[in-house]
Amino acid sequence: MAEDDPLEPTGIDAGSGRATDHDQYLSVDDVPDIAPTAELSWRTRIIESIPAKRRALKYVVAITIAVLWIVPFIGLFMASIRPLSEIIGGWWHLEGMTVTFENYYRAWNYSTAPMGQALLNTFIVTIPAVLVVMLLGVMAAYPFARFEFPLKTTLFFLILLVMAAPPELIAMGNFNALREFGLFDTYMGLILIHIGWGLGWVVLFLRNYLLGIPEELEEAARIDGASRYQIFRTIILPLSTPALVSVAVIQFTWVWNAFFFPLVFMRSPELYLAPQVLPLMRGRVQVEWGLIAAGSIMTMAVPVLLFLFLERYYKRGMVAAVAD
Amino acid sequence: MSLQDHIDGITVDRDEGGLLDIDREKAVALAVFLVPGLTLFGIFSVAPIVYSVFGSFFSWDTFTLESFVGLDNWIRSLTDQLIIHWPNMQELRYPMGALTHNLLWVVIHVPASTFLGLGLALLFADLKGRRFLRSMIFVGFTVPPIVIGLVLMFIYDPRAGLFNEVLRVLGQEQWVRNWTQSPQVAIYALIAGGIWVHTGFSMLLYSSALSAIDPSLLESAKVDGAGAWRRFRDIIWPLVRPVTAVVVIMGIIWVMRMFDIVYAAGGAAGGPNHAYSVLGIEVYRAAFRPPIDYGMAMVVALVQLFIVAPLALYIARMN
Repeated sequence: MAEDDPLEPTGIDAGSGRATDHDQYLSVDDVPDIAPTAELSWRTRIIESIPAKRRALKYVVAITIAVLWIVPFIGLFMASIRPLSEIIGGWWHLEGMTVTFENYYRAWNYSTAPMGQALLNTFIVTIPAVLVVMLLGVMAAYPFARFEFPLKTTLFFLILLVMAAPPELIAMGNFNALREFGLFDTYMGLILIHIGWGLGWVVLFLRNYLLGIPEELEEAARIDGASRYQIFRTIILPLSTPALVSVAVIQFTWVWNAFFFPLVFMRSPELYLAPQVLPLMRGRVQVEWGLIAAGSIMTMAVPVLLFLFLERYYKRGMVAAVAD
Repeated sequence: MSLQDHIDGITVDRDEGGLLDIDREKAVALAVFLVPGLTLFGIFSVAPIVYSVFGSFFSWDTFTLESFVGLDNWIRSLTDQLIIHWPNMQELRYPMGALTHNLLWVVIHVPASTFLGLGLALLFADLKGRRFLRSMIFVGFTVPPIVIGLVLMFIYDPRAGLFNEVLRVLGQEQWVRNWTQSPQVAIYALIAGGIWVHTGFSMLLYSSALSAIDPSLLESAKVDGAGAWRRFRDIIWPLVRPVTAVVVIMGIIWVMRMFDIVYAAGGAAGGPNHAYSVLGIEVYRAAFRPPIDYGMAMVVALVQLFIVAPLALYIARMN
């Protein structure tokens, strides 16, 4: 087949030379860009399916970089399933490898704060902190997107300021407040702090999303006599589901991964959260790599799996949250 | 009467009749929607910030407010060698103070992760399986930062660590060391780790900007004989430049909040003799480790806010 020359007329315009081969012309849209694959010889098909040299090189570089990027995590995983002596000898030596789940067993029952309990605690804190933020966030975002009300700009500015603030800035005030309320060193205290801290970005994020929903839908419902609450429940909530899933995934990851807040507000070992336990496993003389690795794998498994399953929502949310 | 007239009629009705009535209904609705969220936001986010601003001008008896001392806490904190260590800075010796370390993170980490992110986004842009490749780079960003810190400690371990093994294989034995515990180099080792994690985030932002570029634009430039560099400079760069501002500012915010990675590698002291401590670590130690100095913790946390607040407002203004 000849190279596709943009100057050479094709299809109907291709002139009599080619047209005489057929009884009927195809319409312009029906003319395929290339010959049907079946008409090409096997040789051509194989050659064409292999990318050109430059492109092949690009694949090699890209895949190499991507694999190198996760080597540290592969090392962590290898350390988690091997005995300490083999880890110290280097996890990359594969000969004579012993696979053991001893590290996971020991981490799960770790004496200071068992990982089993710590993971449970992390779920107990994370799940309400995510669900409440989603509900209160979308409720507060709705007026920001649709209504005019006094102090709107001031509130907006406050939310932005809080989003820029480091978590350390609210630790001192909340420490004193929680002790005052008797909520210090309780699940409830940490949950409330995560809700208060997460609401800022969630309201802003959902407001931006709601601004993109056409107002005519609500207008129509209003004419039919729906109240503001009915409109919110039957139109706004269902339409904002994709954004709410993004909020859920990102907020879940944030709360689950948080280290500073639990470190400050959870003091009893039986209430420790998983990220909080990991640095304690370091040991005094010889670093217990196997124990740390097993604990780390268990802790990171939840947000990583969540990311892999809901990758689309996670990425879209991440981009929208910072780009809007 | 047409439908449009009908609608107009209703709107006029609403506007003219019972203005007060509608206002009350609206006010109630506003309260129902806003109050629950804003109350929690106010109590647990805004109030503590106001409390810190207020408290930074007072002396503290551990956790109890005592008396007004003006700028005492501010002067004391900003001249503290833990925050800025002038003598060591002149000799380029660590520790140079937490604020200096934080700024060093900004100067090295932010440009590096931005360029790498852009490079990887361009590299992956038209490859098959790019979603999978991008996820491999990005996944580190979803891992708890405390785990990242521990992974870095593991990589830089003198015996079990892969990094030192690579040095040994390359015949650079004199460099083999416990990187996270060597005061003069540890901060660079940690910054490298920060870049490793954060590049995925920059790449993600750039990738979404690149995918918004019309491919036919690039195709026609190619046909016109524009080389890869020309296409980047004249077509791609002008379109992704606004994203760069976001990437850089988010990078600065991320770095200024650095806590978990440093804590994992160096504990609450921020490394041997505070060698790579950052502002977040200093706040934590001042506030929650004896001797407790609430005033200093508040000042240092406010310094963190002052550095990033104008940047966050800039992003908001940009849109």
